[in-house]
Amino acid sequence: MSTAGASPAPAGFAAAGSAAPASATTAPANLSEDQTAALQEIANIGMGQAGDSIARIWKQFVALSVPRIALVESGRIPTLIHHFVGDARVSAARQAFHGAMRGEVLVVIGRGNRDQLGELMGYDGQLDLGEEQEMLLDIANVLGGACIGGIARQLGADVGFSAPSLIGTDLDSHAVVRPEELCVSTALCVEVCFTIESNQLSAHLIALMPREELVNLAQLLDRFLCNL
Amino acid sequence: MTVSVLVVDDSPIARKMLRKALPVDWDITVQEACNGEEAMTHYRAGKVDVMFLDLTMPTMDGFEVLAALQKEDLNCFVIVVSADVQPQARERALGLGAIAFVAKPVNAESVRTVLREYGVLV
Amino acid sequence: MDENTDLKLLGFIVERLEVGILAIDPQFRVVLWNRFMETHSGRDLDSMRGQCLFESFPELPERWLRRKIESVFELGNYSFTSWEQRPYLFRFQHNRPITGGVDAMRQNCTFLPLRDASGVVRLVVLTLSDYTDTALIQQKLTAAMAVSDEERRKQRALLRRLQDAKAQLFQSEKLASIGQLAAGVAHEINNPVGFVTSNLGSLERYLIDLTTLIESYASHADQLPPAAAEAVRRQREKLDYDFIREDLGALIRESREGLDHIRRIILDLKDFTRVDQSGWQLADLEKAFDSTLNVVWNELKYKATIVKDYRHPPQVECIPGQINQVLMNLLVNAGHALGEKGEITLRTGPDPSEVTGAVAEVWVEVEDDGCGISVEHQKRIFDPFFTTKPVGQGTGLGLSVSYNIIRRHGGRIDVRSTVGVGTCFRLTLPVQRSEVADAVSESPDLAAEVTPEELLALEGPDGA
Repeated sequence: MSTAGASPAPAGFAAAGSAAPASATTAPANLSEDQTAALQEIANIGMGQAGDSIARIWKQFVALSVPRIALVESGRIPTLIHHFVGDARVSAARQAFHGAMRGEVLVVIGRGNRDQLGELMGYDGQLDLGEEQEMLLDIANVLGGACIGGIARQLGADVGFSAPSLIGTDLDSHAVVRPEELCVSTALCVEVCFTIESNQLSAHLIALMPREELVNLAQLLDRFLCNL
Repeated sequence: MTVSVLVVDDSPIARKMLRKALPVDWDITVQEACNGEEAMTHYRAGKVDVMFLDLTMPTMDGFEVLAALQKEDLNCFVIVVSADVQPQARERALGLGAIAFVAKPVNAESVRTVLREYGVLV
Repeated sequence: MDENTDLKLLGFIVERLEVGILAIDPQFRVVLWNRFMETHSGRDLDSMRGQCLFESFPELPERWLRRKIESVFELGNYSFTSWEQRPYLFRFQHNRPITGGVDAMRQNCTFLPLRDASGVVRLVVLTLSDYTDTALIQQKLTAAMAVSDEERRKQRALLRRLQDAKAQLFQSEKLASIGQLAAGVAHEINNPVGFVTSNLGSLERYLIDLTTLIESYASHADQLPPAAAEAVRRQREKLDYDFIREDLGALIRESREGLDHIRRIILDLKDFTRVDQSGWQLADLEKAFDSTLNVVWNELKYKATIVKDYRHPPQVECIPGQINQVLMNLLVNAGHALGEKGEITLRTGPDPSEVTGAVAEVWVEVEDDGCGISVEHQKRIFDPFFTTKPVGQGTGLGLSVSYNIIRRHGGRIDVRSTVGVGTCFRLTLPVQRSEVADAVSESPDLAAEVTPEELLALEGPDGA
């Protein structure tokens, strides 16, 4: 089996579709090979459910990427986001989740046809700045809820969400996260990308969990593996 | 008669989950493949009666396998097992000759229902 | 506590909490409506129960809100709105009837899915929190930040201006101290030059006496014995006495000319710096031109032909040391503009015979036929630090210092220039010291308030 994914991955990063080498070289210290493989499959399924949810509420077909999982040093998170998103100008929002799993979801959205998406979400005419921000927060909320909610449901975990907050519109992709703002040294990063093909709008969802939280996650994954 | 089953998925966990969902009273031999190419090798060896096929895989995905099988007479039952459960994905899979579409995560009941529906299992 | 008490307590909390709580079914009919909602909407639960939300509140953004609530029913996830993007859902009066500041209550809303036992979402509960106070604080903060930003901007501008002023001051102090140094040196040289001149006079007289004496001996040479006469003749030839006698006169004359030159330079230097007589006084600008020209002659002599076009205007009341500084600056600049070789014309005016009545203003011009200044650069030449000279050749302060000197004299400095043809600077000074000039010179703030560009714009490129 090869590690070749759809796009070149930065060192220490592997597509979920190629479990064996990923776990051999990059399995997080606190997650075993089996746990990582399980998380990848669960993320994959959570993603599919999220895509289906979006397709149902916005009546749009959503193309899904293969989820990518890695344990990263927080200093590399900005580089990683740039790697996922590319050079484009982006808008971004964050949302915290808490309970049996704790962390933050970053949702980074490229340009694309916002007015058309706004129309689907019930806005009238051209979006003003407030509406654009609100739409961004809503997309972050829906994606975060669907993905993390989907993963939590499969793990039988109870997870709640705080209201999403704005990082900014029209940002440089390097500026989504500033290393000095990060308060953890290492984080588990799960990345997925949704593309709404009809209006070329793609959204990257990056879930980050502090390494300390992995103990809880590992227990949940073990329980899941036991039931197999 | 013993039925030959092939489970195709790049995730070992997914393969494990699927094997667990297969009916216990079903007389089968199970083989595994972790990508489309391996699946085709098994198929060409003439040893596959029922194939459980994942759609997203790194080398040769499920859609490509379906297309290749159609070219080579499609001499087996293909049940697509997918995390992407949007209607478009389902329609495309069925359009390429899959007999059924099962959403992940799979469970024993949904697999049994599908097998019964197509007379693979009595 | 039994279950019944629990339920009662919960009911009480929902009813009395200072948060709006309502619940709606998939047909958007109201199922729950707490006291907060009653108080602020003016409608009680009985009148709301079973009513479609959008029929009761037509001002709600129906299309968008329907989508939002539908997605909560569909996905079973929380959803939110924030006052920052959407100030309110329900237009309620806020809790500040007196101190006010916003048009309506600011609200943060949360949409909660309520699932039944089978996991299907049956109701969506909407909670509505009053964020008016936060919004007002935010408003004040934003306003305060805008003010402080504006102040920071002003401070930066002031600091820049201060730095410019400091640099100008430094430059004029530097020029003044160079002048003082030069005057000191001139004074020191003056004494030795004095006694050398006087000694040279005595030396000339003594030499005349000595040659007269030698001549008188020579006239009696035939009375010497032939051997002695021959010895004297040979000695005289050997020393080339005839040449010495001829050359002595020339040597003395040239030395005296040299000393005269030194004395003139010293006088010009003194005149230029005016250390002996600072402050306002009447001065002849043509004399000022000539003495300044002598000071900078060394820089100009190899490349510039000087043409003087003097019309003998009246004297003007000025601080001559400062005016000389300006003239020197213009002359040096003209020299730089020439490049290899060229012509500099010094002009003064007006010609009193051509003016009816008293002359109010006198002008002087320095014109060169050098490289010229582009229109774009003409707007900036009076800015501190603006220079087109290579690094190290000019500080860029000369013209801005000149500009300020002339302004303090109540005068103007104008430029007309064509690239490749040449440049002419004209200084115009009032004959009599004006009150405006005093005000400007004594109030540095006022002087700093009008920028050179503004003045140029007011007076036009041709000034006079």
